[in-house]
Order: sequence, then structure tokens, then C-alpha cells
Amino acid sequence: MEQTTVQGQSNLVREVLEKGICVRCGACVGICPYFQYHDGKVVVSDWCQTSTWRCVQVCPRLPYDRASLYDYFYHVNDCTDAIGPHRQVVAARSGDKLVRSAAQYGGVVTALVIFAMEEGLVNSAVLTDRGGDLAPKGVLCSDREAVLGCAGSRYSASAALSELNLAIQAGNDRLAFIGLPCQMEALGRLSLSEPDGQERAGHVELKIGLFCTWALDYRALRSYLKTKGIVEIPKKYDIPPPPSEVFIVETNNGRMEFPLSEVREIVQPGCSVCEDMTAEFADISVGTLEGDKQWNTVIVRTDKGMELFEKALRAGVLEQKEIPSSNLEHLKEAASNKRKRALRARGEESNE
Amino acid sequence: MNRISQKKGGTRMLLQANEAIARGALEAGVIFAAGYPGNPSSEIIETLAKASRDLPIYVEWSVNEKVALEAATGASFAGCRAICSMKQNGVNVVSDFLTNLSLSGTKGGLVLVSCDDPGGISSTNEEDARAFAPLSDIPLLEPSSPQEALDMARWAFDLSETINNIVMIRSVSRLSHSRSDVQVKDLPDFDVQPYFDTKVSFHTFPIVAKHQARHEKLRMAEELFENSPFNFYRGPSRPELLVIGSGCAVDYAIDAIEIMSLWERVGVLKLGTTWPLPRKLLLENLQKSESILFVEDVDPFIETNVKALAAEAARQVGVKTFHGRGSGDFPLCGELGPSHLLEFFGNYFDLDWKDQEFRNKMGSLTKGKIPPREFGFCPGCPHRGSFYAIKTALAWDDRDGFVSGDIGCYTMGIWPTGFNQVKSVHAMGSGSGIACGYGKLEGFGFDQPVITVCGDSTFFHATIPALVNARFNNADILLVVLDNSATAMTGFQPHPGTGKTAMGQPTQPVDIAALCESMGLEVHVGDPYEMKETARRLYDLMQKQGPRVMVLRRKCALVQGREGGFPYDMHVDQSLCVGEECGCGRYCTRIFRCPGLIWDKEKKKAMIDQVICVGCGICAEICPQGAIKKEAKG
Repeated sequence: MEQTTVQGQSNLVREVLEKGICVRCGACVGICPYFQYHDGKVVVSDWCQTSTWRCVQVCPRLPYDRASLYDYFYHVNDCTDAIGPHRQVVAARSGDKLVRSAAQYGGVVTALVIFAMEEGLVNSAVLTDRGGDLAPKGVLCSDREAVLGCAGSRYSASAALSELNLAIQAGNDRLAFIGLPCQMEALGRLSLSEPDGQERAGHVELKIGLFCTWALDYRALRSYLKTKGIVEIPKKYDIPPPPSEVFIVETNNGRMEFPLSEVREIVQPGCSVCEDMTAEFADISVGTLEGDKQWNTVIVRTDKGMELFEKALRAGVLEQKEIPSSNLEHLKEAASNKRKRALRARGEESNE
Repeated sequence: MNRISQKKGGTRMLLQANEAIARGALEAGVIFAAGYPGNPSSEIIETLAKASRDLPIYVEWSVNEKVALEAATGASFAGCRAICSMKQNGVNVVSDFLTNLSLSGTKGGLVLVSCDDPGGISSTNEEDARAFAPLSDIPLLEPSSPQEALDMARWAFDLSETINNIVMIRSVSRLSHSRSDVQVKDLPDFDVQPYFDTKVSFHTFPIVAKHQARHEKLRMAEELFENSPFNFYRGPSRPELLVIGSGCAVDYAIDAIEIMSLWERVGVLKLGTTWPLPRKLLLENLQKSESILFVEDVDPFIETNVKALAAEAARQVGVKTFHGRGSGDFPLCGELGPSHLLEFFGNYFDLDWKDQEFRNKMGSLTKGKIPPREFGFCPGCPHRGSFYAIKTALAWDDRDGFVSGDIGCYTMGIWPTGFNQVKSVHAMGSGSGIACGYGKLEGFGFDQPVITVCGDSTFFHATIPALVNARFNNADILLVVLDNSATAMTGFQPHPGTGKTAMGQPTQPVDIAALCESMGLEVHVGDPYEMKETARRLYDLMQKQGPRVMVLRRKCALVQGREGGFPYDMHVDQSLCVGEECGCGRYCTRIFRCPGLIWDKEKKKAMIDQVICVGCGICAEICPQGAIKKEAKG
């Protein structure tokens, strides 16, 4: 990949914000007063004049050398596996029915975060809240109830890394971060950034990634729902696996279905250039298990992830089963397709 | 006892020209005074308000200039002498009434004083309000010294009663705010009995006949002006150059002639009665020289009219060469100063004038010694917090929103002190009126959010009709009332919301929020010091439609400073401050810009200027490192 020299806030604004490809990961927010996140958008509030630009070094939407992250985290130069470097892929679910009922699918993320906290592996975790009148945002959770309050999928970005930045600045240590593939990329880039990236990333003890095909622009989603007569805050969103092609919104007044083709119109444009579906730079990545709403697909990637996952199984916090080979094939195909679409959108040759 | 109220005359007092106008009005027996504050006019009403403690007169700050003149006119119709003062912009506000009033005529002596601000030193415009005299066909007097200001003010009421019409006095900043020794006369007994004689009426019908009568009144005034002591000639009988002028400018000409020893070559016709022009006096003097120089602020008012006169009387006065603003010898805009005169005479008579040399020397002596100062809100000013919140909310919204501004200290929102958020400023109340326009463009695809701001005094003055319009037409406007409980910019005069009158009497305050609610508007009240909360509220309001109001209430910092001060001692923990580095980039001194925050050049860290900082504490919230610390004052 050709490296583009991008210097300074103004270039970040020109190359990302003005091109409309910001994915609201929040990596540039919370480290200075110049970038802010509010109601689903990352904005520039003032012009900065410094010469370090940590914002530029972490943005996952600026061109960067992905191989350097493979090298740093997995000591490989490249990865030909569509779902990224990993130790194992299994189906899993929370052993706790309560957790499962709060969660979108099998409750693995919620269960793992609570377990990591209770085991003392992490002190607290940055997750994404449910949102309300405003878009979802990051929230620092340090107990079971708070984590449970964040269960479920949002289908829109939350810039939760801004909350992580603030938590680190406030002196929090041994943190878990739960986020989308773009956020895991940004966290990965943080480890390689100057002058204090490695130190700041060192405060993150556990990274749990969420599968993501795209996220919706929250402000556009709110307007879309308004045109459909939904003004109250939805309780839950869902996109059942193909071929259903619907977007489901559950509110206190019931359940409504909308054509996915309409909803795709309000996907964040920045998602179209994202090549990562399975959060390749997380310790553990979690997503849906096609065809079985009670379970998750879990990709364990790192030693740290493996250790936690096995410990959780032993403690009965998680249950696992083998993932059907057809599911794994579908997953790889979907991940590969996302990568191909992204490379095409970026005008780059596909490696495959 | 206030010296302005001193009954006995025959003594001398050191008076500012505005005070002299007030004293002159009192010597004329004025019992009713009304006005709206505005630089450089405010001291006239303030002086009379002080005198009201000792004398049986009534003084008010009115809600706006038009109402002020209307109220004063009520007193005139009831046979009382009344005065009304304002700045040049105020005359625009009264003009609709004025052009009708001058048709109906007046009874008790009625005088309108306009104090103009050449150069717009403390105004949103530069304007020569003298234009309203010919427009309204009313006599115009222009003093050029505090003594003349007093004498003219006293005589203007006699003139008004002689011709039964309103008389205009026009001062300028330099005169209004200069002081000199003034001879005062006795005050009368103020024993007037107001009575409206129902046998007469005041209206404009039949219009043409009244218009004709108005011109007849002007002709009477012109006759009186021919022999007025306010006009005089000084100089040789056949000067090489005749200066004709008024106000301060003519004083500058006299000074320059003095300095350059030109009294044998230059003559000066100083005019104090400038509309209608004293035709005979002018024709007589025009014959003295072939070269005429006009000196006046701001527009070529005398110049244009005398040129017309000279053209009509060309056979009598001969062919002239004219110099002045209109002829390009002086700039057409800006205040005329002594330097202009020195330079003109120097060039005209080929003399070595020292002024430029002096200015060069002054520049080199002061270079680097005068700290740069920009327009800025005071430390502790609630407007800084308000604009910070507005800036934040508009940035969050990210649809290229902006502020439609208005008149007050917060006009400075056009500059960095208000984060350059204000994109238009015109007349009192216009911010909201203009916002009504933006607020109806949505149907054409306009989706930039607009916040309009006005101060509390401006709200009462002229914003209310715009707000009613927004309600009536359901315009999408978001008005932020920057309520600092004072007409701060002009010197803390009371207004309808303050609960006190010009004479210091308690009155039922008009509640801005309640008034807006009564119009059926969505109204919120917030604290400009709570910047984050205010920004959140503004953001939410920006997502809504229809007319909405947010009142941001916090006392003017100068008032607060006098009434108990501020709660915090501030300091910067320089070990936490990262200064120019990534993560800050001098955010407090470069962006927030409170004058209480300064840059420690040696340590490259921020610090508090303990002399300037008042201790409002709001900067602690904006420091990204939490290095700005506030502690409760001990």
C-alpha cells in the first residue's frame, strides 16, 4: 500500500472528515480539545497548531501499512486467511440465561467482560451504551450491572475510543475495550504511535472485537426512522442472516421491518473502504452464528485471548461447541467479500 | 446636591458637553426627558436622572428611541418642555415618527439630541444624522464647544416654541465627551401645569397643507438664524481661503490656523445653525474669497448645500473653488482630525507642517511598547461562556451553522473573543429579523442551523416584533437571549428587565422568559457558565423546529465585580500543563482567550494573570489536562 504523507489536523479533516469517510471510532477524540464526538458524529471544534498530531497516527481511515500491524501483533508479514490470524474458531454462548436474554445473540461478549472483571484480569471496561435521544457513546463500566446495561448490538458507531482515551488520561489501568474492527485497527495503530502510544495502549489489557459488515450513520438512522413514523427510542435492532434482507426495529409499540436496501443507503460511507469484518487486531472476536440466534461465533486470536476463553469455559461462564463447517465457510466468504469490496472502493488491487 | 441641579447661575462649572446639554435643558425649564442609551449620548439622560433627585423633573430610559421621542412628545403636547436624546442609530429608529411629528408640529418646546459617532468608534455604523433635519424639515443646531452646547440647548426650546416644531441638536463624540469651563445661568421654577388643550389637535392632515406649514416654520427659523450668535466670522476681510464648518471640525481648523499663524490669510465662518442654512449670511461671506474649504463630520452636508446655494447665486458671489470631503480634499469617511487640517493648510499654502514628523516620532518612540490589544470580553464575562457553548453546539451539529448577531457587547462575537461565531450584525433587533428569513428557507433545501443572539436590553428594544413574527409565520428560529441584567455596553443603564427606572425607582421587571412563553414559544433558561450543559441544550434545541428561545442568564461581570465579586482563586498547575504540545496546543490562551489567561514565554506553559483574572472559574472546565485549578476564595 502506498503511504501518503498526512500531516496535521487539517489534513485529517480534509482526507477523512470532509471526504465523509470518518467511521466515528473515536480514536482522535478525548486526547485533545480539537476533535469532539457528539450524537454520532466526530467533529472539529477548533484548529490545532501543534506539530505532533497523535490524531493522524491513529486514524484507521487514513492510509497506513496494515502489514506493520500484522507484524506487531502476530509477527507475520501478511495474512491470507479471510478472518485474520487466529488460534481457533468455535461457537460459544454464555452459560447464564440472564446474560443471554439481555444480549443480542449468545451473550459471549457480556459474559467475557464480566468474567474478566470478576477474575481481576481487568479493572474496568469501555463499552458502548444504548444511546437515547442521542447516538450511542462509549461508557466506562466497572461492575456487572453496568456491563449488562450495554448488552446488545447498536448497528451504529459510538466513538467509544474517546471514552477509552479519557479513561486512560484519568489514570485508569487494566482496561478492557470492546469495539468494532475499525476501533481495533485504531488501537493497533495506537501501539505504534509516537510519542506515548505504546504506553497508552499498554493500559488496555483486553480487546474484544465485534464482527461488523457496516455501521449506520446514527443521525441518518434517526431521520429515516422518523420518516417511518418511529420517534421513540428503539429497544433493539436486528438484521437476520440472508436471504431475509430486512432491518428489524423493536420499540415499545412493537416490531417493524424495513427493507435492508433502504437501510444500506444510510450506512456510514467510511465503512465501504473498511477491509476488516472480524476485528483482526482483537484478542477475541465475536459475532453472530448464522442460523442460531442462541450462539455466537468466536474467533480466539491471541494467547491472552485463549487463556481467558479457556478459563471462562472451565468456570462455566461460557459453553462452546464446534462451529459447523458451512458456517465457517460462509463467514470466510463474507469476510473475503468485504475485503474485496473495500479494496475496490479504495482503488487498490485485490490480493486474492 | 448634584451641581447640575444648582439653582443659582452666574458661576462657571467644568462640564462635559453632554452635561452642558442637560444643564441647558434644565435652564430652559425642561420637566420631561427620555432617551435610549448609546455612545456618545448616554450622559445626557444620566445627568438629568441624577438631577431628578433634586428637581421636580421626570426622566426615563425608554424601551427604545422611538418610544422615547413619542413619550417626550406627549409631554410637549401637554404644554411641557421635553428633551429626547440618542445616538445616530437612534435617529433612524425615531425617523418614522419624526417625519410625521414635524408635520403635526409640537406645543411645549421639544428638542431631539443626536450624538453622532464619527468613525464608528463605539457603533456598528458611521452615520451623519444631520440628514434627518432636511428630510423632516426641522431646524438643526450644531454646537462646537460645551458652552455652546449649553447655550444652544437652552435656546432650542425657545426656537421650538416659536415655530411650534421639534428642533434637532447634533453633537459628535469628541464634543459630547470633552469638558470645559462653562458659564451657567439660573434654573427656573419648573412650575409648569401640564394640560392638553382639546381645542387643538396634532396630526398630519391635510397633508400638503401641513407640509407647506412645515416649510413656513423652517423659513421662520432661517430668519432667526441669520442673526444667530451661534454663527460668526473670524478673519481678514478678503481671506485667501474661507473655511466654512461646524462642530469640532471647525475648532480643529481654528487650532491649525493658530498653530500655523495663518490668521492673515484664512478666514473662518463658523456655523452653529446648519439647517436651514442662513442664506444671507452665507452669500455675504462667500463673497469674501474665491476659495472655500468645508470642514465638518461626517458627510459633506454643509458643503453640498452651500455649493447648491453658490450655484444659484453665482452671479452675485462669483465663481468659487471648493475644497472639502465632497471635493476629495478630505476622506469621505471617518472622523476629521487636527492632522487633516494641518496637512491641508500645509499643502495649500506650501508650508512645512510638523504633524507628519510628529506622528513618525510618536510611532518610533512607542514601537514595541504598547501591548497589542484586541477587542475582547472582560474576564468573567458571561458572553464568553455563552459563545463557547454556542460554538460547541454548532460544531457538534456539523451542518455549517452560524450566528445571526445583534447590538451589544456580544457584537464582539464577530471576533476571536466570541470565537468568530457571529456572521452578521446590523441594527438593534435585526439579528432575529434576519433569522426569520433563514427560518423559512428549509423548503428550499436550506439546512444550516442558525442561532440568533440578542442582549436583554436589545430584546426589549426591537427583538420582540421579530420574535412575534417568527411565532406568527412559524419560522425556524433559535433565539439565545444573552441576559446579563444590564445595558452593559453603554454603562449599565436600567432597562425593563432590571426592576429599576432611570430615576432609581423600583418597578415591576418584565420577565423575558415568561414573555416568550406567553407567545407560545418553547423557552429554556440556562447559565452561560455551565458551558457543557448549555451546549447540550442548544444542540437539542437546534434539532427542533419552529421558534425557540434559550435565555442564558448571568450578571455582567462588571456588575458582579461590584456586587460581591467572584468565588474562586485561580492558578495553573504548570506541571500538568502541556503547553504547545499535542493534546493542548495552547488551547486556553489561543482559543479560549480570556484575558486572565496568559502565556509564560519562558516556561512555555499557561498561567493566570492574577491582576486581570476575576475568579469566575469557567476556564477550569476547558483545560484538556485539568491544569487550570480553582479554589474557593478564603
